[in-house]
Amino acid sequence: MGIDCQEVWRDISDYIDDELDPKQRTALEEHFARCRQCASVLEGTCNVIRLYRDERTLAPPRGFHERLHQRLNQGAKASIHPSRRAVLAWALSAAAAVPLGFALYSARRIVLLRLEHQNPAGSPDSSPVTGLVAISENAEEKVFHVPGCPYLHGKLKFLPVEEAIREGYSPCPVCIGKRKLQKKI
Amino acid sequence: MNAIFGGTTALADRDSRESEFIETRMYASITADDAKINARKERIRATEQVLIGRILKGEKDLFVELIRPYQRTVYATLVTMLGSKEDAEDVSQEVLLKALARLDQFRRESAFGTWLIQIAINEAKMRKRKLRLGKMFSLTNGAEQDGAYVPKDFADWREIPSEALERSEIREALANALSLLEEHYRLTFVLRDVNELSIEETANVLGISCGAVKTRLRRARLMLRDILAPGLCQGGEVSLAFKKEVRKPWE
Repeated sequence: MGIDCQEVWRDISDYIDDELDPKQRTALEEHFARCRQCASVLEGTCNVIRLYRDERTLAPPRGFHERLHQRLNQGAKASIHPSRRAVLAWALSAAAAVPLGFALYSARRIVLLRLEHQNPAGSPDSSPVTGLVAISENAEEKVFHVPGCPYLHGKLKFLPVEEAIREGYSPCPVCIGKRKLQKKI
Repeated sequence: MNAIFGGTTALADRDSRESEFIETRMYASITADDAKINARKERIRATEQVLIGRILKGEKDLFVELIRPYQRTVYATLVTMLGSKEDAEDVSQEVLLKALARLDQFRRESAFGTWLIQIAINEAKMRKRKLRLGKMFSLTNGAEQDGAYVPKDFADWREIPSEALERSEIREALANALSLLEEHYRLTFVLRDVNELSIEETANVLGISCGAVKTRLRRARLMLRDILAPGLCQGGEVSLAFKKEVRKPWE
């Protein structure tokens, strides 16, 4: 008795590829000679392979070569923008960026204008400190501030800047910083 | 079209001598095909070495000639992986443009066709990642969709293959049958049986062993045969010898 159908099916693909040793091949061929089912599977499988090998199966669509040729001719340009989708995505992004950029620019201008309005000298303030300065009466450190400084707290006392310096007060590094003090001192 | 793939009911009327004759002829013709394929590959390889040299020296117009034999190979691989003709064409163009741009990186010890397929597979994976197409396909029972099997005289089949492919519905049926397989079967089958790579080349492209290629190939071929010849699994009309077998051939 030779091999059974299952063994044939296990080896049938290798048989078609001529990957079996001569002994196995003879065993399969003997089986095909007496088993119509397996002969049918072999014929059908070989037929399937031949159909798929045919150039017409899974062939590129009509015009493929011409379109490819056209794209190759576009050369470098085409490789920068590799697909129609990418081009579309790029164009949409660019279109969206224009109003967005304009909006950001406008917003920035509005904010800057407001800041300038609040502080006409601009920032950082380099104008000399003149007139009244403020001190916190109950503060331990002897520091004088420009009115409005966040470090002012408690009961405030206002005095001319010259007097504050004379009394040993030093300028607040936050609100006065490197602003010049009056030359008189 | 069922008669094309060999029908068991038609076979019941045949005697074993006829079966043996056809089997021997089938096998002989497939191996003869292989010999022709190898001879053709050798011819192509000899000319492409010259072409690549000239292209790299600046004759870029020759690139069209270089890739002409591989257009179907690249397209078939991509349409099999992506499932859409439009995407397959789009990615095919990208693959071939990339091949032109990277031609200087092509190492000549491998075949140019295999190198192209590797680029194609990588591009297809990237496109699928973008489109999240990974699980679009699954194995379904194609035999059920094909309806009733109408046996024809078995002697017809020899004439049918080349003529049948002129009909678009036959080409569609072949593409659809392939799309029913799981991707690793589909891809192995396409590389080996559509693109005509050797088992070793297929193994190299997929990064798997030759044994794994053979296993996938066996299953893919038998599944396709079964999908395309639904009459094989129909009860009632098949012979007793086949009925005894509970397992499918690819199991």
